[in-house]
Amino acid sequence: MAVTAASVTAGGRRPGAIGGSPGEGGSRLGGIARAFWTSVRIGWRMEANWTDPLLFFIYSVAKPVSAALILVVMLSIVAGPAAANLRPFVVIGTALWSLVTSGISGLAWSILDDRERYRMLKYIYVSPADFVVVLLGRGVARLGVGAAGTIITIVIGILVLGVPFDLGRIDWPVLVLATLFGLTSVVALALLLAAICLQTRQESWSYPEAFAGAAFLVSGAVFPLTVLPAPVQVLGLVTPLGWWIEAARRAFLPDAPSGIGGAGSYLASINGGAVPSAAECLLALIVTGAVATLAAAVVFRFSVRRAQERGLLDLTTGS
Amino acid sequence: MSVMSQEPRVGAASEPAASPAAETPTTATPPASPAVPAGTPLALQVESVRRVYKAKSGAVTALAGVDLEVQAGELFGLLGPNGAGKTTLIKILTTLLAPTSGTAKVFGFDVEHETKRIRRIMNMVAGGEQSGYGILTVREQLWMFSQFYGMSSADGWKRSEALLDRVGLGEKKHQRVSTLSTGERQKMNLARGLMNDPWILFLDEPTLGLDVEAARSLRELMLEWRAAVPGRTILLTTHYMAEADELCDRIAIVHKGRILAIGTSAELKRRVQRESIFRVELDRLEGGVGSIAHLPGVVKATTAATDGGQAERQNVAINLVLEDDAALGAVVGALGTHGSRILGLQKSEPTLEDVFVELVGRGFEDEDEPEEHVDDPEAST
Ligand SMILES: Nc1ncnc2c1ncn2[C@@H]1O[C@H](COP(=O)(O)OP(=O)(O)OP(=O)(O)O)[C@@H](O)[C@H]1O
Ligand SMILES: [Mg+2]
Repeated sequence: MAVTAASVTAGGRRPGAIGGSPGEGGSRLGGIARAFWTSVRIGWRMEANWTDPLLFFIYSVAKPVSAALILVVMLSIVAGPAAANLRPFVVIGTALWSLVTSGISGLAWSILDDRERYRMLKYIYVSPADFVVVLLGRGVARLGVGAAGTIITIVIGILVLGVPFDLGRIDWPVLVLATLFGLTSVVALALLLAAICLQTRQESWSYPEAFAGAAFLVSGAVFPLTVLPAPVQVLGLVTPLGWWIEAARRAFLPDAPSGIGGAGSYLASINGGAVPSAAECLLALIVTGAVATLAAAVVFRFSVRRAQERGLLDLTTGS
Repeated sequence: MSVMSQEPRVGAASEPAASPAAETPTTATPPASPAVPAGTPLALQVESVRRVYKAKSGAVTALAGVDLEVQAGELFGLLGPNGAGKTTLIKILTTLLAPTSGTAKVFGFDVEHETKRIRRIMNMVAGGEQSGYGILTVREQLWMFSQFYGMSSADGWKRSEALLDRVGLGEKKHQRVSTLSTGERQKMNLARGLMNDPWILFLDEPTLGLDVEAARSLRELMLEWRAAVPGRTILLTTHYMAEADELCDRIAIVHKGRILAIGTSAELKRRVQRESIFRVELDRLEGGVGSIAHLPGVVKATTAATDGGQAERQNVAINLVLEDDAALGAVVGALGTHGSRILGLQKSEPTLEDVFVELVGRGFEDEDEPEEHVDDPEAST
């Protein structure tokens, strides 16, 4: 500890001048971007298992691929030869699902991990970085990890499971827009869930997966919404996930059966039985996604305020 | 998508102030350290702050109306038994926790409404906790915070390494956080606390769990850091009386959510002891203590046990309580005329622990007192 106090400050950064304060050089937007990318980068370092081949294989390859395989096998037992038709439907659905799970759970787990395991949540909270921005960055990092599983599942689906794939037939504008708005919606739902987990006093590690599981049911990922009771179908129609998966599926496989609408569905009782077009799915995704994002922003803000009032930000169940 | 409220920059509120460091002619290069503006109101201004926690067993009043003012540049200590409310006060001042009622300002910024501003100019370090991202390296974790404080990436790396060198962790910078010992994590935590060169640093039991050498170098570092720039302020809690005595300009003794006394260590000691107390050792004392008890200025004179035993069995020790030090002269003179030889003379000073025990009414080990449970209708949270 021989270095003097003054010499340490000479880090080259612009020190806060009079009336200013340290590091307050850039614009507010610049600060947000910096905090965001830092969190993505740090989150990636913490969550990605690239350095550990076994972990990487288990989480990013084995888990999503085996989930798809189980469903494909089940389907061929139940539906017999007709299953071949449904196979692409299921593979794309489960592939996207791995993204949904890691996306939805990611933010909430970041909160729980940081509060309970790393005990860093309070230090992040009392730093000038926007709390929500830091969390979003961490969430996006987890999404990235989930995306690896999605891509691997789709590739295996095409190479091994005979999912028809024709680069020329992919509807790129729909796919790009669906991915953009779909991932935004996933992050919004994740934020909502994070807001809830912030309030819990008990360990709530199982909440995110339970929530993701429930959402899985109503998203039409592996079976069409039509098979569910009408009230549950409504739930599926007002959440963005189903619309996202449907829009993405249409972009990939224009001829695949639809997970939403069609004969006998609740939607048919409203729109007269037509299967929604890709554009309609996209529109529904944008509307439901916007509502979810707005709700998430409001609820999260409220949750943080309440956590500060109740002393939940550094609450741990252990010592 | 920013959900958090937007806060303007710190600049405006403290603009008119001129820093002592800035009185040298302005040059193109900014001062080496962020200076705390002179004439800044007060580092801390706490008024009637109450904090009530809702627990299963009922409402717990952690702070029962605290008033406190700390000047910029002070090293201020909070002393108090477990559960006194010290950590709660620090949490409120660092914007981690909202007060139930009352107001608190940090360098003039309100802890409830100007949180973003406060977060730029303060930092905190809590001792005795295993915090950190185990999988990251020590310098990565620090770098993350440098980015949160708005430094460029390259500057962040430089600063992280400089700070690690400074707290004596330079050699461990590439090690994973999970491999650090408790004390090393504590040092890393301190480096994080210094990242933004805060105007005020909150240290909650910073030397807890540190070895003697580490605790001493941390204390030196604290003093050195504060001395480097006028106005830098430290609020410290500790259970080590000697530490508080050695470091703090002023000390507040907190108990059951209230401040019982505030003052310099010397002032606090005077509170518990207005008279001067001496211990005198003599080869003999003819006429016993009675012969000096009547002297002017002597409040009380009693015999005391002599230490040592065997060889000194002939010796006499007396405890003298005098109105003030000046009365000692008469006593020494009288002893001389009695033919006593003074073998030793010791002024006994009260320790901070004496003050603490007298004010708080119990020692540290005594934990049997139940927590204060107050049913408070005002408790909104
Ligand atoms: N989240 C909480 N919920 C309920 N009660 C709490 C909570 N946090 C603190 N308390 C209570 O508030 C009181 C003050 O606690 P605080 O942590 O501020 O004490 P402290 O002075 O820091 O003690 P120590 O010296 O042991 O660190 C204690 O009685 C404690 O039990
Ligand atoms: Mg404490």
